[in-house]
Amino acid sequence: MDKIRSLQDILDIKEQAQKKTALREDGYTMCFTVHMGTCGIASGAREVVNAVAAELESTGRTDIRLTTSGCIGACEHEPVMTVEKLGAQPVLYGHLDAAKAREVFRQTLAGKSTPAYLVYVGAAPSDAHATKKGARA
Amino acid sequence: MREIALHILDLVENSIRAGAAVIEVSVEEEPDRDLLCVAVEDDGPGLPVPGERAADPFFTTKEGKKTGLGLSMLKFRAEQAGGSFCLSRSALGGLAVRASMPLSNVDRSPLGDLAATMASVVCTNPDIELRSRLRVGSREWSVSTADIVRGLPVGGRGEIVVARRMKERIAEGLSALHVSD
Repeated sequence: MDKIRSLQDILDIKEQAQKKTALREDGYTMCFTVHMGTCGIASGAREVVNAVAAELESTGRTDIRLTTSGCIGACEHEPVMTVEKLGAQPVLYGHLDAAKAREVFRQTLAGKSTPAYLVYVGAAPSDAHATKKGARA
Repeated sequence: MREIALHILDLVENSIRAGAAVIEVSVEEEPDRDLLCVAVEDDGPGLPVPGERAADPFFTTKEGKKTGLGLSMLKFRAEQAGGSFCLSRSALGGLAVRASMPLSNVDRSPLGDLAATMASVVCTNPDIELRSRLRVGSREWSVSTADIVRGLPVGGRGEIVVARRMKERIAEGLSALHVSD
């Protein structure tokens, strides 16, 4: 990344980050992304996905998306899950298991955060590990 | 990774990141030859480098990363149990990752929860056709998301229903064929 020289540079970075993480205009108001890199899978990401899927099914809502992505470089916090809500900053929760993921899901739907498992709020500190389509480990 | 099913999940996630639309997971047992073979194949772009390079833990195609542990860990796991690991071109057009190991080796990892692995992929990737094939000796059993979707009404949280059916069908297959743990 280039050096930050002015307030405008910071605002540009903010805008780009928000664009990158904004929910698409495809009818979803919320998105839960479980990071399924090798690190996540080894730490229990599969159980997190299946727990969130069960919760999602019980709500019957079709405006919530559940998806996976690769490693985002927060390996020490795995299993991690990013929660995005339309118009809000993404939130990364970590050190999850099935029960904790269910708790995060329910709290999010109730409009609350779950500080106990919070890793950070906002776009990832570094997108260096963001996985692009077409790449393979 | 504690289970072979987790390695399978890791390979399937690799295929998804590589842009595959069809992914086939097979678990085959040859009781007479004391052999377990697992394979994940896809219709993705395949590997841009020779197989031995791809299994190097310090090689990855992902930008910004310095390690790629998934394939190397499976290779290690297979070889540790007296087995082998190979990467080749799949009949589906993409990559085929295969690991074989003696069923009775004490260092062989348990197969683990294959049904949970498949369900987690299906419920998060509704656009991917996931196939699973189980074989013990001459007895075969298979299921695919395409088969399941055909029998379902449209609408609602389709992918989660498909995932649940997939989980049930895999459990049925594992039990019907008496696949080893």
